[in-house]
Amino acid sequence: MPITAKVEGMEEISEMLTRLEEDGPKAAAAGLYDGAGIMAKTIESGIDGIKTAPFKYTKFGTRLPSPEEVGAIRGAIGIAKFDKNGAEVNTSVGFANAGYADVAGRQKAIALVANSINSGTSFMQKQPFFRRGASAGAKAAEAAIIKTIEQRLDEKNLK
Amino acid sequence: MPSEYEALVAALKLTDIPFAEYAWKNRPEGTYGVVSLDFESGQLEGDGLKQDRSWEASVDVFFSRLSEREDLISTVEEILTEICGDSWELNSSTYENATGLFHVEWTCQVMDGGDA
Repeated sequence: MPITAKVEGMEEISEMLTRLEEDGPKAAAAGLYDGAGIMAKTIESGIDGIKTAPFKYTKFGTRLPSPEEVGAIRGAIGIAKFDKNGAEVNTSVGFANAGYADVAGRQKAIALVANSINSGTSFMQKQPFFRRGASAGAKAAEAAIIKTIEQRLDEKNLK
Repeated sequence: MPSEYEALVAALKLTDIPFAEYAWKNRPEGTYGVVSLDFESGQLEGDGLKQDRSWEASVDVFFSRLSEREDLISTVEEILTEICGDSWELNSSTYENATGLFHVEWTCQVMDGGDA
């Protein structure tokens, strides 16, 4: 489920981080963490809107995810460990490290269950909760990053 | 419903690939596709912050013979380019072990009558 939300070309942020000098990378990471948290929350809230139906095998039709499948992904979304590469700090929001869950007596990888619901399969109608949440949360996440960095500037009277 | 989305559906339905919107009640045997309008701008609001008006759709194609892959991909991608410009992407390509079908998914996002 590769969703990339890049905050790019933001001269305003770049200029603010320069003013923070050696505290810039820390402020950037704090902002990114807050932004990623909002993104995760927005995506998580979309999980409640996923339509479900009790599991029913269908040979030629399309079924909805079962309540157990949706239950497996609820609360499983996470923020990946920050990857620092020089001046760049990267992270991702998703189910990559969510592990496994018991679904109808079988251990299933939570990331695969989430992908089946989000992208659909030949036997399950897609409900793109992840893409919808990522799109809806992008602006709020960006605002949170700026707000956190501005707070750091305030603390140091650099605003 | 956005007119570009309607044009996308119409163009896909003119291809040799049987296409349905959202889901097939009885999916065909062999190759088939599904096209969905996943969301429109009114739904793209988070934490009270208004987002740009846009719509996002996805196109899914399921097939069993790997030899078909290249032709199917170019058919769909030509249509996506015609309707969505360069604002589409190949989102995923998976193999369903349970059914033996390959699944290719594209998404396109279009802003208010123009490219995203």
